[in-house]
Amino acid sequence: MKILLAEDDFASRKFMDKQLSRYGECDVMVDGEEAVDAFMMALEDGEPYDLACLDVMMPVMDGYQVLKAIRDIEAQKGIPKSKRVKVIMTTALNDERNVKMAFELGCEAYAGKPIDVEKFEKVLTKLGLI
Amino acid sequence: MAEEFNTESMLDMFLYESGQLLEKLEGIILEKQDADCFDDADINEIFRVMHTIKGSSGVLMYENITKVTHKLEDVFYYLRESHPDDVPHMELVEKVLAVSDFVTAELDKLKNGDTPDGDEKQLVEDLDEFLGRLKGEIKKQGIEMPQANRHVEPTQFYITPVAGDDSHFYRISIHYRSDTQMSNLRAYSATYALKEVAEDLLYTPDDILSNEASSDVIVAEGFHMLLQTKSSKEEVIALIDSSEAEEINFDELSKEEYGRALGEFGREEPEPAPAQPAAAKDDGNKEAKKEGPKPGDYVVKTKEAGKGKTLAKNQPKQQSIISVNVEKMDALMDLIGELVIAEAVVLQNPDLKVPGLELSNFQKASGQLSKITTELQEVIMSMRMMPLTNVFQKMKRIVFDVSRKLGKDIELEVIGENTEVDKNIIEHITDPLMHLVRNSVDHGIEEDPADRTAVGKPAKGKITLEAKNEGGKVYISVKDDGKGLNKDKLYQKALDKGLIENKPINEFSDKEIFRFITLPGFSTKEEVTEYSGRGVGMDVVVKNIQSISGRLDISSVEFEGSEMTLVIPLTLAIINGIVVQVGNSPFVIETASIKEFVRVGEDDLIHEPSGEEYIVLRGECYPFIRLNERYDLPDSINKIEEGIIVVLEHEGSQVCVLIDKLLQEQEIVVKPIPPYVRKVKGLSGCTQLGDGSIALILDIAGLLMHDGERR
Amino acid sequence: MAEELLKKAETDETEELLEEDDSQKGMFMTFQTGKEFFGISISYVNEIIAMQPIAAIPEVEDYVKGLINLRGKIIPVIDVRVRFKMEPCEYTDRTCIIVIDVKSTMIGLIVERLADVDTIAEDSIAPPPSLGRKEHEHNKYVYGLARTGDTVTLLLDPEKLIKQDDIMTAMEEVRKEEQS
Repeated sequence: MKILLAEDDFASRKFMDKQLSRYGECDVMVDGEEAVDAFMMALEDGEPYDLACLDVMMPVMDGYQVLKAIRDIEAQKGIPKSKRVKVIMTTALNDERNVKMAFELGCEAYAGKPIDVEKFEKVLTKLGLI
Repeated sequence: MAEEFNTESMLDMFLYESGQLLEKLEGIILEKQDADCFDDADINEIFRVMHTIKGSSGVLMYENITKVTHKLEDVFYYLRESHPDDVPHMELVEKVLAVSDFVTAELDKLKNGDTPDGDEKQLVEDLDEFLGRLKGEIKKQGIEMPQANRHVEPTQFYITPVAGDDSHFYRISIHYRSDTQMSNLRAYSATYALKEVAEDLLYTPDDILSNEASSDVIVAEGFHMLLQTKSSKEEVIALIDSSEAEEINFDELSKEEYGRALGEFGREEPEPAPAQPAAAKDDGNKEAKKEGPKPGDYVVKTKEAGKGKTLAKNQPKQQSIISVNVEKMDALMDLIGELVIAEAVVLQNPDLKVPGLELSNFQKASGQLSKITTELQEVIMSMRMMPLTNVFQKMKRIVFDVSRKLGKDIELEVIGENTEVDKNIIEHITDPLMHLVRNSVDHGIEEDPADRTAVGKPAKGKITLEAKNEGGKVYISVKDDGKGLNKDKLYQKALDKGLIENKPINEFSDKEIFRFITLPGFSTKEEVTEYSGRGVGMDVVVKNIQSISGRLDISSVEFEGSEMTLVIPLTLAIINGIVVQVGNSPFVIETASIKEFVRVGEDDLIHEPSGEEYIVLRGECYPFIRLNERYDLPDSINKIEEGIIVVLEHEGSQVCVLIDKLLQEQEIVVKPIPPYVRKVKGLSGCTQLGDGSIALILDIAGLLMHDGERR
Repeated sequence: MAEELLKKAETDETEELLEEDDSQKGMFMTFQTGKEFFGISISYVNEIIAMQPIAAIPEVEDYVKGLINLRGKIIPVIDVRVRFKMEPCEYTDRTCIIVIDVKSTMIGLIVERLADVDTIAEDSIAPPPSLGRKEHEHNKYVYGLARTGDTVTLLLDPEKLIKQDDIMTAMEEVRKEEQS
């Protein structure tokens, strides 16, 4: 599968890249705007991502903005819900209001950092990605 | 980073909500345990509770909780849709409680940071079997079988973070040799290596790559890092290139120390934001800030080397309900106590006592100040007040469990569960109360209903749990209509165990005999049962209650029942008191226990040959204590006409106390007498007065007891 | 001293004391009461304050003089002379209170007059003689004798001074309170 990873923190990025590369090809972005650009590009090339892992605290655009942009673009292009990219937010911001907001914005999962790898994998299974 | 946003975490919220729902559930169940069946509202409610917990546990992926609640939801789905008759109510109640217990246990594990690994299989099988029978019953009764309960699998998931408990915190300082070239690059390679394992890494100086001059600083002052990681000390050391290093200091820090150290590394000092495209974007929507997070709130300003991230926009925080750490509440309470004292220091300052000083404006302003501090106190007090509902709920459950296990038929009546007491006190009374309730069920109520009917009581036992608030005290009583206490038996047992003086039973009052059961090493039941009495217990109850300056009253009539009453103060910290003086020492008496002040003459005094003295007031005779003699206070008034008599009342007994003069009435912040000092009977604490001097607080109960013992 | 402390170093507090000891090693606060000079390791000393009004507590040991108000904190004070079973003497303007902190218990010691802060080398500390009865009485609190010039300073063990069992019960009560 094709994975988009947006994470500005080097240590986290390295860790996530290592984890995600087990499941597929992983493109790594370091800020929110790049992530949206990459998503757009993949869509236009006809090779959309299957999974996007978005950090929340990032330069230029934060993860929630990226998520919203992605969902807006998909809606505009008329992509059906089932074909949408699966989005997992990854962040240390674990308070309930943030999680709820992310759910409302339409992410599939919200992973608190430090990430529980076992559960992360379980979610990928539940989302039908692996 | 998390410390910037310590609002309720997703997990806390789940625990809190589920906990609330389960409490509600137990409330319904225990209320309806003796009914024939649940009514529609109950069924709906239980269904809803299960549905909610199932849903949220699904999102958080606690699968065992999801499975169990899912099954029970199914059961209640069929009950709701088909209304079958003859549902085995008691069994259903047990099933619900079993599920509630299971989920509670799993939630407790989560609270403690453990994995919720309870095995749900047996419970699910039981529920399946029950559901099977229920469906069979529905068929038999010819009711149309509803469509299977449709479960929507959650489509969104929350992955709880790994508990951060296994993180280590280190402070690492590297000192390079003075001739080291480009020490900044060496420092950088150290940070680079550590990034492999770091959960968080800060370092100073922080401009090692961009500023070549930093290498001089590093050589002169060393290079310092703060590291949060899962790796062990050895693993971390192995990562650091130690060539050219003269000295590497390596300290493991506690989490708290680490938090403090973060400040030193400049994490908490927000720096002026450099112009950045993202920062400009958010300026337009200031009004909307209060509604909670929005996309765009978490754009990172710039990531500065060696520092934590700073957000371009300050995170708005606003919630209608927040949870506060009890320690903070206590700290606030202490501060307000200090404020009350400081206020007294100002308002009663000796400097103000210059004759002829015009103070009307000051008086006005100080009146305002007093009003505010009083209100402040009331607010903090009310914040600390909690109803006893939850405690009583627990008691309901205990009566239910224990009575069923012992095969006793007992009805529980609860009165005044909305009575509010200080949170601290609630924590102290839960265990003692639990013990008393168990005792009542186990020892109080007769084992054989025939024993009850024989003395004209209904076969069903009754326990009454009552709370009321009276005169600054809270009374919580546990009353049973059981067999009562047998005085002869108590006396004999206490005697046999050598717990009491060897004197005939009629020299003890009823109250004294009942109090035997609170002696250490006393247990009225020969056999120890699972639920109460191992000979430890009542004495512990009494000790716990005394530690919050409360007491236990026992009354009982044989064959009619017993009543155990906990009498506890409403709050511990601030009381209304009157400051009096005896000799050179000030004392404080709680205003609530003062009945009146009187002046009497020598004629009103009765001298007993034994040396005891009594005072006759309006034809009544009161015991009399000269505080100056009792506590050996010099330079005090001895002539009764010159002093003032304070009539004190406690638990219906009265005593007259001779004091020199009244000083003032004020709010008293109670402080304990330092534990180093031996406990003195008749003194319950001390306080600081307006002028900074210290006054001892009289404890009327202790004074009376002391008096009684002397006789 | 340090060795003795090390043996007792079970709690965090004493560990902290040890750390302080490094810089304050061998430093003693000395004071005179009667003809004798006494010394207390400076690591126990919180501060020295002037004599101040003491609120007496009835019915306690005679050497417990009462309570003082130390900036809002209420602490007990004991008279060292009375504690050593010496004749009490009048308090003068030279009388002062040494506030010590022993395992988080704060206590004030009333002493006749403060002498100095002295450095006493470990090798100049001799164990106390244990001959006469009077000496024996002292030995409970004195763990060493130090000779400085022509005076002999008796080094006190504050933990014993405030009586081992006293503080034990105090600690126990505190612990109980915390638990319950």
